[in-house]
Amino acid sequence: MSKAEPTEAVDPNAPVTGMDYFMQLDYHELVCPSVRRYRSALIDGKLIGHRCPKCKLVYVPPRGYCPIDTIETTDADEVQLVDRGVIANYTVVTPVQYYGQEETEPFVRVSVILDEPGGTMSLQDVVDIPVDDVHIGQRVEAVWLPPEERDISEIGNRSWGSADGAITGWKLTGEPDVPPDQVPGSAF
Amino acid sequence: MSNAVNDIAIVGYAQSPSWRASDLTEPQFLFPVISEAIERAGVERREIGFTCAGSCDYLSGQTFAFVMNLEAVGAWPPISESHVEMDGAWALYEAWVRLQHGDIDTALAFGSGKSSPGVPAEIYPLQMDPYTITPLGADPVSLAALQARAMLDAGKITEREMAEVAARSRKVAVGNPYAQVAGEFDVDELLASPYVTAPLRKHDLPPISDGACAIVLATAEKAKALSDRPVWIRGIDHRIEAHQPGMRDLLSSESTRIAGERAGVGDAKVDVAELSATFSHQEKLLTEALVLEDSVDVNPSGGALAANPVMAVGLARFAEAARAIAERGAHRAVAHATSGQALQQNMVAVLEGD
Repeated sequence: MSKAEPTEAVDPNAPVTGMDYFMQLDYHELVCPSVRRYRSALIDGKLIGHRCPKCKLVYVPPRGYCPIDTIETTDADEVQLVDRGVIANYTVVTPVQYYGQEETEPFVRVSVILDEPGGTMSLQDVVDIPVDDVHIGQRVEAVWLPPEERDISEIGNRSWGSADGAITGWKLTGEPDVPPDQVPGSAF
Repeated sequence: MSNAVNDIAIVGYAQSPSWRASDLTEPQFLFPVISEAIERAGVERREIGFTCAGSCDYLSGQTFAFVMNLEAVGAWPPISESHVEMDGAWALYEAWVRLQHGDIDTALAFGSGKSSPGVPAEIYPLQMDPYTITPLGADPVSLAALQARAMLDAGKITEREMAEVAARSRKVAVGNPYAQVAGEFDVDELLASPYVTAPLRKHDLPPISDGACAIVLATAEKAKALSDRPVWIRGIDHRIEAHQPGMRDLLSSESTRIAGERAGVGDAKVDVAELSATFSHQEKLLTEALVLEDSVDVNPSGGALAANPVMAVGLARFAEAARAIAERGAHRAVAHATSGQALQQNMVAVLEGD
């Protein structure tokens, strides 16, 4: 679980002011049934979600309940989604070089609101869109890996709508931007 | 109870089964438990004045996992809620305190945990003193084994008595639909099994469990309106001992004794006691500290040795004690929850029917 390694030569007479303690915990979680179906769909090049029978919001991946209406959802509430939509929000991440950080250059993560029947893909990567050009209202479509290269093994219960291993990111469709105040669910 | 307090009652309770490893997420298996507790209470979900959760992000291995658990509650539009990184019994305590203010009349407390994804023996040492105890890898089993060894050396218990506690717990758990370890076991056969960590054998240890429990509380007036059989919390108290195990007397549970006295355990006859005796030898420490007579039915559910969903197991003692009163004819029951290592912190409540 843990190992303590001196990081530099220590003067044996100096007072102890701190100690290094490196630790690691491993977790092995079973993937829940609704996410298992989501993963299978990704292998087939499809996106699925659960639509709340009351408020009609679509959750990606299918979650098993609507937290707003506190209604359980089942396979009967499953809907197939489209892989096109609009960038509803984005964050440019400037990596801080903390221990374990692998990113060195600024990168962007976008939220894509899918076209009807809806659903939100959050924390998505973009393909061929410079970080400085990303903005709300851009029309995008998913860039799928070839079927033989798809690997959904990294998608678990806590992947927050990730399609990593099946969709590399989202590229511009070439359609005109949606005005920000017309983006579905827009707060602007 | 020595302090003047408003009467609060348990008006709804529910538990999930205890699983060795559930393939549902924590919010997914919490969802029906919370819904059932609310439905049994007969309140509207949106009427609940305060919600408090108990869970542990280290168990889930996910930062802010407790926020996800709120999805099972329904938190939009925003609700008044809180969280304790403790067993759900302490969430119940906070809800009980909140109800004392008198401006709201119902509260929801729940506890949930998934112990299956991680390795408990690696996770728990991290909650100990990081300089002197954590590097030793002092996990709950090791510390409980030290406690059991001290009791054996002092002549306070025998390994056979410990096995008898385990066999009895597993036997009565046959009737508990939420139990994980249940069945008829021969004490001699149990004693023939090897030690896991001497002097503890597998039957002396709790199972590793996933699960959840939820309880709805109400003020006196509201409880009488909601329920024909409210279960009154007549007294509740919790006490804590030193964090450093070497500074404690492991042969007694002083914090349980004080909490039990302040909760009024000895004021009248006790029918049922649901005790968080997570290891077999601890049942004796707890019954001694609470001065429970032999006539008391201890852990008719099978207790923590039959189902141990960490972060819910203490609250489940409240649910089981309430069930004994509301469904099984008991009049007065004790619920006990524990936190920390080797009974470091203890909560005791006295529950009564009308």
